[in-house]
Amino acid sequence: MQAAMMEDFDLALDAKVRHFVEQEARLLDDRDFSSWLEMYTKDCVYWVPVSREQTSPRDGVAHFRDDYQIMLARTHRLLNPRSFSAEPPPVTCHVVSGVRIDEDAGDSLIVSSSQMVIEFRNRGRFEEDQRVFGGRVIHHLARNGSKFAITFKRIDLINADSSFNALAAPF
Amino acid sequence: MTSQSFLTSDIKHPTQNPASLVQNNHVHRAVYTDPQVFKLEMERLFGRAWIYLAHESEIAKPGDFVQRHIGTQGVILSRAKDGGIHAIYNRCSHRGATLCSFQKGNSPQGHQCPYHGWVFAADGRLKSVPSAKNYDGVFDKEKYKIQEVAGLESYRGFIFGNLSEDRPALTDFLGHMTSSIDDLVDRSPTGEVEIAPFVLRHHYRANWKMTFENLNDVIHPGFAHAASVVSAKHVAGQVGGPDALVPTLGMMMANGKPISFFQNIDMVTAPNGHSFIGGHMGADYSPNTQDAYTQSLIAFHGEEKARQVLGQDRHLTLMYPSSTWHARYQTIRIVRPVRHDLTEVIGFNVRLKGAPEETFENAVEYCTGANSAASPVIADDLEIYERCLEGNQWSDQDWIPMTRGLAEVREETDAFNRHPSTAEAFIRNQFKAWAHYMGEV
Repeated sequence: MQAAMMEDFDLALDAKVRHFVEQEARLLDDRDFSSWLEMYTKDCVYWVPVSREQTSPRDGVAHFRDDYQIMLARTHRLLNPRSFSAEPPPVTCHVVSGVRIDEDAGDSLIVSSSQMVIEFRNRGRFEEDQRVFGGRVIHHLARNGSKFAITFKRIDLINADSSFNALAAPF
Repeated sequence: MTSQSFLTSDIKHPTQNPASLVQNNHVHRAVYTDPQVFKLEMERLFGRAWIYLAHESEIAKPGDFVQRHIGTQGVILSRAKDGGIHAIYNRCSHRGATLCSFQKGNSPQGHQCPYHGWVFAADGRLKSVPSAKNYDGVFDKEKYKIQEVAGLESYRGFIFGNLSEDRPALTDFLGHMTSSIDDLVDRSPTGEVEIAPFVLRHHYRANWKMTFENLNDVIHPGFAHAASVVSAKHVAGQVGGPDALVPTLGMMMANGKPISFFQNIDMVTAPNGHSFIGGHMGADYSPNTQDAYTQSLIAFHGEEKARQVLGQDRHLTLMYPSSTWHARYQTIRIVRPVRHDLTEVIGFNVRLKGAPEETFENAVEYCTGANSAASPVIADDLEIYERCLEGNQWSDQDWIPMTRGLAEVREETDAFNRHPSTAEAFIRNQFKAWAHYMGEV
């Protein structure tokens, strides 16, 4: 980090943002989906592209290309025992690291982090039941004083262009 | 199948007489579980049928290539310098290393083997060998040309490959199903289409035929996808009713249509295992968009033809055994068999050149919902495919019925038969083709 940046470094803001990003991950691990959704704005976009070259959800297919409605349906499904790709349900462990404020425009922030998700579904298939995902996560946050809300989340999986088996749990 | 009992057979070696694995509208579980049957399928079915490879737009410029598979064999499909299209096996004729490790790219000078530097042209000709003098007097470059795929034909820009020297013309193989490709291309307001650059891949640990036997099965959604219907309804309740749902949730909701709805829709089966069902599945998109698009289509085709094109109400077309086509939402899937118990499905979006941007966005939304491993609908399908593989390994029952709607035939012609879409007629039709390919030595 350059000296000039160090002088401007807002330790308190940095800690709040890191806590916010970690909190989101923890709510997913706790399967507390209604609290998770409360972290998002109603016009949010949740996006897992198939390539780092994609610049907008409009430019092509994606693994997740969700708006608030789809997120609501997706998480509602995860709590339904007849949702077969989540029977038994996936449980996750997020590891969040390197949370960094890339842009601070006052009432909005762009934050990046490295995240790893270990996912397990007990289907009786030994090692196959546990998977590891990871990549760079970009959050666009709306800021109101010390409160944040997610307006946009992009997850660039390192294997975005790979082939996936069923993905029931959000990253 | 009745030699021992209704459920079990005395078939000990399924590959000895593979055609006998299909009997009396039942199929032996070995067709899904036996690696030897799969190996024979790769020779006799994927080695003989026309396999969809790519659209010409994917290799538009000289040197452009894509890597695809015919069955389990890797091929490189390229545009040569003279504009010609070639498909060669992805294998150096020296030590056998694969030449190409990228899914697509541009390589105007041909492909150089990473091992000893042999260079091959798009059509497989060996262009150069380093330290050629070591081969003085012992080497005939002509002899080491990489084999081209025996048959390569395209229909309206869509390229299919065939490994067999003894093959029908592509249009004879496709038969009535050429009309589904027409349906797709005619939707373009310029007469031109192109494949969009980003593709979606998913896979499952079960047999490739599961996809073909599931996609036009209209009874399963009400059960396998019931949770998606429940959740879509839950969201509808929160946002002010079903009309306020976004298209993806409309697709989830459509899985709850009553069986009577599907009973009124036709299923069309055709020779060589192909089929489609009429009637789109409830993923309605914004009428304003459709209006702008409709105007552009009328400008190109004239009113009568445009109406005819838009009036075509076909859901999925299954072109056995390699691809599925959805003209209305411009989506093509390649079904790629990897092992008897592993299958990859690759989803492509087709851009209708000259159509409003919203038309493409609708197609992207549909393709994502129909091909992402994270799609609530697809995820549940993959789970079911894998459960079928697991269950079909138990030995209590050998014969799997495909008898639904057996007595319901609406029309029989030389080109196609018509049934209610609720029938398993498309599965019977696939196995009729399967037994024919597999039985022929």
